[in-house]
Amino acid sequence: MIKTLSQRLLGPVTLVLLALTFWLGLWVTPPDKVQGNLARLLYVHPAIAWVALYVSFGTAAIASALYLWKRTRSVVMDRVAYCAMEVSTVFIILTLITGSIWGRPTWGVWWAWDARLTSTAILGLFELAYLALRRANDDPDLRARRCAVFAIIAAINVPIIHFSVDWWNTLHQGATVFTENGNLLVHGIMLWTLFISLFAFTLLFFWLLRARYRLEVLRATRYDVALDEALAQRRREGVH
Amino acid sequence: MPSADLADLTPVPAPVTKRRGRGRTIGVLVVLALAVLALLSQGLLHSLNYFDTIDQAMSARAKLGTETIRLEGVVKPHTIDRTSNGASFWMTGGHGEEVFVSAHGSPPQLFQADIPVVVEGHFTSATSKDFYGTQILVKHTASYIAAHPKRVKAPNGSTR
Repeated sequence: MIKTLSQRLLGPVTLVLLALTFWLGLWVTPPDKVQGNLARLLYVHPAIAWVALYVSFGTAAIASALYLWKRTRSVVMDRVAYCAMEVSTVFIILTLITGSIWGRPTWGVWWAWDARLTSTAILGLFELAYLALRRANDDPDLRARRCAVFAIIAAINVPIIHFSVDWWNTLHQGATVFTENGNLLVHGIMLWTLFISLFAFTLLFFWLLRARYRLEVLRATRYDVALDEALAQRRREGVH
Repeated sequence: MPSADLADLTPVPAPVTKRRGRGRTIGVLVVLALAVLALLSQGLLHSLNYFDTIDQAMSARAKLGTETIRLEGVVKPHTIDRTSNGASFWMTGGHGEEVFVSAHGSPPQLFQADIPVVVEGHFTSATSKDFYGTQILVKHTASYIAAHPKRVKAPNGSTR
């Protein structure tokens, strides 16, 4: 019952939190001392990037690892990995778009080939490659194993993206929340709005993942039903 | 009664399926792999560091000469002089080194005193500390401070 209730509430709660994020971000929070109203993208871009890199890609990588481990290998893990990777691809594209929108008026350019942006773009390409690899083979188990291995290899890029602003001189700013010395570089209502946005977009991911997973199950069921019908038709043709 | 032909249920080999779909997928993977290599080359060929700090540039001054680089520093207050085709200002590094920048082109809207900037250009001569810039980028920090700080006080008593 709790599971059904939580599933039913996931969508409405997500929408309420997203609405709260936008209301706080656009009207309640003050402008930044340096960036002015441009800083309001703080409540969108970091949350989308957080979901793209850690939540959705992390889900895909973990599900891939669980698929490769014999004890937990199942078609569910394969489907979760695939669906999470699809959603992650959407979020990483949105990360690059919102980042460009923020970068143009603040940095002065739409794009810079610094380590953070370049490595994020590379991860986006890896995700597109995963989706292409998904269509390269019809054998379900072979396809699942190849994609799982690819996802785990691609996951190497995530710590590179995370630490790129510390390892190299980058145009992209450093961490605001997860700083090296633990000091927060944003406070008050701005910090709370940032946390709400992180939570809201995380729920959005799980809502989208659930919807996408249900679609994948329906697609697989339709394929199985179509196969059974085709076999039954063939048998009927043989009897007449 | 079923005819002899229709009653024959001997398995027949499946027809050869066309490999167009698979070839297209492999083509996409090859294109993506080339794109990744192209992106990696941007980092490997042009150094993973997007810019040099003033201190780093001064340490390698003899080697840099008049090579085009990106130089990072903080805009020194009361030194900005905006012209019709750009701006000139002094830039300071982390250890007090200063460079005079004369940049062509409009600076970004956040350009101001006490803000970190990255200037793309080159030193005017092999030994000079004057830097000619073709583009100014603002490297904003990771700090976000409300424009009206007196509304909230931090636990340590400082004004946010």
